[in-house]
Amino acid sequence: MPKHEFSVDMTCEGCADAVSRVLNKLGGVEFSIDLPNKKVCIESEHSSDTLLATLNKTGKAVSYLGPK
Amino acid sequence: MDPSMGVNSVTISVEGMTCISCVQTIEQQIGKVNGVHHIKVSLEEKSATIIYDPKLQTPKTLRDAIDDMGFDAILYNPNPVP
Repeated sequence: MPKHEFSVDMTCEGCADAVSRVLNKLGGVEFSIDLPNKKVCIESEHSSDTLLATLNKTGKAVSYLGPK
Repeated sequence: MDPSMGVNSVTISVEGMTCISCVQTIEQQIGKVNGVHHIKVSLEEKSATIIYDPKLQTPKTLRDAIDDMGFDAILYNPNPVP
């Protein structure tokens, strides 16, 4: 599955949990969250646009860093 | 609240907020929702109090909006007495 890396402006555990929840709701994703580096690495068949839209729901600043 | 003014208020219990930035994010996001006049989120009480236009929003849609952001939102007064 393609891997995508995103930068998400998370400041605490709560922020990271919120990101996990929206991704789990979308489904079909494998992801790891790197809180200190504010990065989320997602492995999914969804397009980067879909993933970006999902991450944007959390209201945090999100940017697509590119495939990995 | 006076229903003729087109305002109502609801308090929604929100779990999963741990810091002030979570609070601010919710306030910013929900504050942008159509029909929301004012929102006050309390970290200590784990709740959000929203003043909204009942013609445009319902407690359920507001709950869903918070839920969508990745927080556990529960309505504890689903039928508020005016």
